[in-house]
Amino acid sequence: MGGREANVVLLDENGIRSDGRKVNETRKVTIKAGVLKNANGSAYIEFGGNKILAGVFGPRDVHPKHMSNPDTGILRVRYHMEPFSVGERKKPAPSRREIEISKVIKEALEPAVMLEKFPRTAVDVFLEVLQADGGTRCAALDAASVALADAGIPMRDMVCACAAGKAGDALILDVNNEEDQAGQADMPIGYMPNLGKITLLQLDGVLTPDEYKKCIELGLEGCKQVYEIQKNALHEKYFSSGDKN
Amino acid sequence: MKRQEPKKRYVLPGDFITTAPLRLQGNVVLNGKRIISTTIGLSDISDDSVRVISLTGVYLPKIDDLVIGTITSVFGSSWFADINSCYQGMLLGQDVFGRGSYPTMTEMKERLDKGDIIFAKIANSDRQREPLISIADKNLGRIDSGELTRISPTRVPRLIGKRGSMIQMIEASTNATLTVGQNGLVVVSCEETNGLLKALAAIRMVDEQAHLVDLTDRVKKMLESDGV
Amino acid sequence: MANLSIIDKLKRSKILDLLQEGKRIDDRALDEPRPLVIDTGVIPHANGSARARLGDTEIVAGIKVQPDRPFPDMGDKGIFMCTAEILPLAHPSAETGPPQPDVIELARVVDRGIRESGMIDLSQFVLEKDKSVIGLFADSVVTDHDGNLFDACSYAAVAAIITSKIPKWEMKDDIPVLIENQESDAPITTIPISVTMGRIGEFIIVDPNLDEWECLDARITITTNSDGNIVALQKGGSDGFSLEQLVKCSELSISIGKKIRDVIKEATGGSK
Repeated sequence: MGGREANVVLLDENGIRSDGRKVNETRKVTIKAGVLKNANGSAYIEFGGNKILAGVFGPRDVHPKHMSNPDTGILRVRYHMEPFSVGERKKPAPSRREIEISKVIKEALEPAVMLEKFPRTAVDVFLEVLQADGGTRCAALDAASVALADAGIPMRDMVCACAAGKAGDALILDVNNEEDQAGQADMPIGYMPNLGKITLLQLDGVLTPDEYKKCIELGLEGCKQVYEIQKNALHEKYFSSGDKN
Repeated sequence: MKRQEPKKRYVLPGDFITTAPLRLQGNVVLNGKRIISTTIGLSDISDDSVRVISLTGVYLPKIDDLVIGTITSVFGSSWFADINSCYQGMLLGQDVFGRGSYPTMTEMKERLDKGDIIFAKIANSDRQREPLISIADKNLGRIDSGELTRISPTRVPRLIGKRGSMIQMIEASTNATLTVGQNGLVVVSCEETNGLLKALAAIRMVDEQAHLVDLTDRVKKMLESDGV
Repeated sequence: MANLSIIDKLKRSKILDLLQEGKRIDDRALDEPRPLVIDTGVIPHANGSARARLGDTEIVAGIKVQPDRPFPDMGDKGIFMCTAEILPLAHPSAETGPPQPDVIELARVVDRGIRESGMIDLSQFVLEKDKSVIGLFADSVVTDHDGNLFDACSYAAVAAIITSKIPKWEMKDDIPVLIENQESDAPITTIPISVTMGRIGEFIIVDPNLDEWECLDARITITTNSDGNIVALQKGGSDGFSLEQLVKCSELSISIGKKIRDVIKEATGGSK
């Protein structure tokens, strides 16, 4: 989180943010399911300026064998950013940030996927950030969930995600890149909407106990909005013609 | 009579289906009293049970399914085959050479080797280990000629069609013979190249456009035209 | 890719049978590449970008332009570097981890084809001789693999380079300072086009798809420039070519290269 003096006004006197949004408004989100030919399941998301591709393979054999689990399938997640996805070109090798985000997303999906029926196999989720603009881990998690459903991996619920935070002393929904750099708090949230469980939660910044509770509630509103878009993406691919064959 | 709930409904993972105390079949899970879907598909409620017919996902071996497999290795006295599932199929040497036989590696490889394609039956699918497959029945065994192609296993019913109508239409129009595995693998045999290419194109159409209402007409139109 | 899928014997013999009749599995002629679709500007935040779809093979290329130090022996030229990566979501057998030899070869062949053609006039990328230059990085990622990544990556990178915008930097106290809103077009001198051909038996096929790729005896990638001259070559595969076959390949690369150059020009707004 940057502490530099913001050149941009994060919140003006009318409660309008630097990109024209109100405090409880998310950026534009579009999701398309089934965009890749080879992957078993896939999804492409545009969340504000974020552009992320998700591909899923599995359940499939695990190599090396000693990594497999005799009682259940395992979930593996790789979050990766392309060199051209960020302002200053990023070297292709995985950074510590990417490794941490991969783990956090995996742990957000694990409560949802049901892999006990597939012992000794793995489900691989590959998340590729083509363009980053603040809130990539939430957008990636949103795409991952759609891709897993597209691949037919049994899930007890979808997982939707959105970040909330604080900038210009106000609680805001869906923190963009500028607000992340110069704002006061950024809280990515991942949520299983039907079971009502929060499975991803991180915080960067300072919140009072009251702000903390309100921030989560605000974030869950955003998560639910994204959930509708996830459902539409799957509806469009699988149910659009009304053919019940 | 109690008002009937709609028999078939589109559902996504996490969607609520019913609270009726029904027996759980495929692709559903119980959360408290709520039965919810675990996949994308059609919920199907019958008098005593509930399931979701999945519209996506890998092939899960079911006993007595007829499948097409590719031999990937010979190990000990068994062959292993890729059956388009998360598990390999295991074909015992005894299934081919007879009970109590101990075929040598050479004998095994002479009968079936890496890369050979077989039409087999799932003999058992105990989840603790690789499913056993068998080619003992008369119409099963190695497939010597034809082009191997792959569709999503969920499209197989569409490729076969009501009482075989789709597969018969393709075969009649192209003079090809289609051997369809429940696991989504299909072998197409055809004397003429044109017929082969058309049959392959028809199969690809079913895989990509299975959700369209007018699929049968579209395939018919392509088969009757000159190109693919 | 390590762990190639099992080569089933039926497939190779079927492909050969079809070739005897002058046909291929997807109904193309032997010298016919798959349809090429190029979209530019797909990553607006990068300096340039393009997505190339060659049949079912899909590549996204992004261009990053930033100040850099020149190579020690080339203080009067900017830096150009091309990378390529097969993303693990592109194919079930694509691996994560450090790049395998085949991916390294892919990146280096794409890089050489563009570099040797002199496509970018690197002398225009000097901010202060021997001290500070502009570096242009073309990074391609494979998002869907259906064979012939050499050509697909090259087309995506070339289209991205043609449409990229170069920011302006001025030296102030020995440090390059970005001058906002003064971007210019990339200094392009020629458009290199690579064409990859494979040999199965005695047949030469252009733009092999993945099924064909796995049955090739040998392959060759030939890059030509806008003048119709050959600027880069790479032969691969575990078998060889006869001289006649190599000459035929060079002729194909020029004639097909011309057509593909037109496709790319059209997609990038008809530059050079």
